[in-house]
Amino acid sequence: MNLIKLFILMVPFYLFLTGCYDKTELEYQAYVVALGVDKGEGDNTFKFTYQIANPETGTAIGGGSSNEPASEIITVEGNDFLTATTTANASVSKKMTLDHTKVLVVSEEVARSDNFLGLMQTASRTTQIRRQVQIIVSKENARDFIKDNKPQLETRPHKYYQLMLERSTETGIVPESDIHRFFQLTEGDADLFLAMYTTATVEKTKNNGTEDEYKAGEIPKKGGNPAEFMGSAVFKEGKMIDVLDGQNTRLALIMDNTLEIDDLLSTYQDPVKEDYKIAGDFSKKSPTKVKIDYRKDVKTTIDVTVPFSFEVLAIPSLVPYSQDEKLREKLKASIEKSLEKKANKLIEKAQKEYGSDPFYWSLYIRNEFASIPDYEKADWNKKIWPNAEVNVDFQMSRLEFGKMVNDSQLNEVRD
Amino acid sequence: MKPDKTLKTREMFAIVALFIGVKLSDTTATLYSQKVQNGFWLSVVVSLIIALPSFFILLHLLKLFKDKNLVELLEILLGKFIGKVVGFTIFLTSFGLLVLDSRNYVEEVKLLYFPESPTTSLYFIFIIVCILTAKRGLESIGSTSWIVLPFIKISMFLLAFLILKEIVWLRIFPIFGNGLDVVLTEGINKASIFSEFILLTIAYTSFRDTKFFRRGSYIGSSVVSLELVFFFLLYALVFDYNSIEKVAYPYHEVTQYVNLGNFFTNVETFFMVFWLSAAFLRFIIYLYLVAMVFGAVFNIKEHESLLLPLGLLTVSSGLLVENTVINELVYREKLLMYSTPLYVLLPYLLWIIKRLRRDLK
Repeated sequence: MNLIKLFILMVPFYLFLTGCYDKTELEYQAYVVALGVDKGEGDNTFKFTYQIANPETGTAIGGGSSNEPASEIITVEGNDFLTATTTANASVSKKMTLDHTKVLVVSEEVARSDNFLGLMQTASRTTQIRRQVQIIVSKENARDFIKDNKPQLETRPHKYYQLMLERSTETGIVPESDIHRFFQLTEGDADLFLAMYTTATVEKTKNNGTEDEYKAGEIPKKGGNPAEFMGSAVFKEGKMIDVLDGQNTRLALIMDNTLEIDDLLSTYQDPVKEDYKIAGDFSKKSPTKVKIDYRKDVKTTIDVTVPFSFEVLAIPSLVPYSQDEKLREKLKASIEKSLEKKANKLIEKAQKEYGSDPFYWSLYIRNEFASIPDYEKADWNKKIWPNAEVNVDFQMSRLEFGKMVNDSQLNEVRD
Repeated sequence: MKPDKTLKTREMFAIVALFIGVKLSDTTATLYSQKVQNGFWLSVVVSLIIALPSFFILLHLLKLFKDKNLVELLEILLGKFIGKVVGFTIFLTSFGLLVLDSRNYVEEVKLLYFPESPTTSLYFIFIIVCILTAKRGLESIGSTSWIVLPFIKISMFLLAFLILKEIVWLRIFPIFGNGLDVVLTEGINKASIFSEFILLTIAYTSFRDTKFFRRGSYIGSSVVSLELVFFFLLYALVFDYNSIEKVAYPYHEVTQYVNLGNFFTNVETFFMVFWLSAAFLRFIIYLYLVAMVFGAVFNIKEHESLLLPLGLLTVSSGLLVENTVINELVYREKLLMYSTPLYVLLPYLLWIIKRLRRDLK
């Protein structure tokens, strides 16, 4: 009897089993991996491009359907990210989900327009677009970039973006630029935000550059995927104002303590035989020291010390730096000087041209103020930064020579 | 000693840690940050400095009178009638806060995890679970809290650990946010966020020995205070001053931001499970205590039978508010502001009366 009662009592609970309003099967969802934004036909509309991943590519279970492409690309006109997905559903059979979006590709045209900040606000309101989505600025239309970007080895788009972004931010040729950081810097109303700069159409290459003195689209290369990630788009107050090349991006990242850069291989002029270059691995083990001496109505001085160590990787000139104390000193001084020269040039540009800094240095002046109104009145962008005296000092703490003691001597080999 | 009661220090600690501790993951942070911006963690310190001594004084008084709960204490010190009136006022404000706060939690769950489900059904399911569990009595609530506490705290601290690499310490400056005066006034106005400490004392006599209640309260309140300040500081460091006031649910925003390495992305559902159980327990405790106050004021011995009507009343009044922004920033803020004097000053008042009475005698 009790059992029957219990059973009858439990019947209503079956209703709960069917009642999940939010139940969606994996099969019924279309995962958008890359989102593109271009200028639309109207004044305040945009063209949204969705790259939808095909989960069957590259997996063992996809055996039968190997003819399907890795992704589907669709562009629709719309007002914001979410409503445009409904329009896109006119031809996409599944529910479009932005939860797994990795990148937001913005065409340079949109990034330079006043509408960009408003567009980004719509992105932050929805829970679907995450704060870790990376903002990428493409030289051409975002649709063209997404369409032309055809990685040959990593065909699954989500893996491609994940690996590509991870590696290129490690080398520092592009900055890490997620939505979260965009808002921190833009709403903080000081400092410049750097976003990855990219292109998939190579127009004219630059032939006299060294390894990182390029912007995307200038690298002389043959073969491979046409898409290049190089340099950064500079945003001031939510609007793009300029493009920095890979080298300046790296410098900005070195001097900014909030971003990391792991792998910085680059070449420097050989101080003895000036036709040659010395290659080395620059590494920054301790944070950049930024000391700001701020006094009201007096010129602010900013003293920056960048401690770094340097490992020599190649000396094509075969000058015996490792053996000779004097030569070592000379090399050390020359590298420090060359870095300081480049840094000073970038700082001067930031002060005169941008009127703000790409290094997030406004952080170091904040402790001078007790409250936000005081801090905002002092005005970093307009008053403090452009007039400040900035002294940059690169200090090499260690110079290492890898696993070779000395190079072979040219005259001995060829006698 | 009451051998038939099982509640001890650790259950009390767990109840305090969940009942008050969940505040670090709801909209309380948003409420503070609206005016103070990145100095809002200091406002919490101010609130705690104001709210905790009242609680401790009340504990001291309860110790003197032995075996009396909050309402009985009020009746002894203020006289039967005034005592009941004050007790009823406490019931009204706590119930009001329960209604507004539960709506908040339901909206939070809906917005983040169940966008298609209607608020009404979510709210009903939420409260029904709370009623059914609360009906099991304070003993079960206490031991359930103790069982789930480690999981909830570990998940929260895992989150704190994962977000550590995203924080920028210098964002702590300007230290006072929008100014020292704002920090202080906001801290004082919102002290009643911690009024729940006072509400807890209605359960004073439900423990095996009242000393367990006191010990649990002291340990619980100090741990919870540290935890709240730590997390609020973390939010300030992650979001910085102009963004923090715009973020409605900082805890969930953080869970969406972090990854467990490259492989485990979109891990917010993992944190949601623990957060949800914490939220359930918070409202189970809340509902139970409110029912206890009501029972004590109107001399209803079977206060557990009040859970159902009070719970359903919570849903129907919670649904009256139009949307969560109004709910949080208008009604909850106003109610908190007006009830602060009641909760902060009442224990002092009682203490003074106690002194006067002894002197008179």
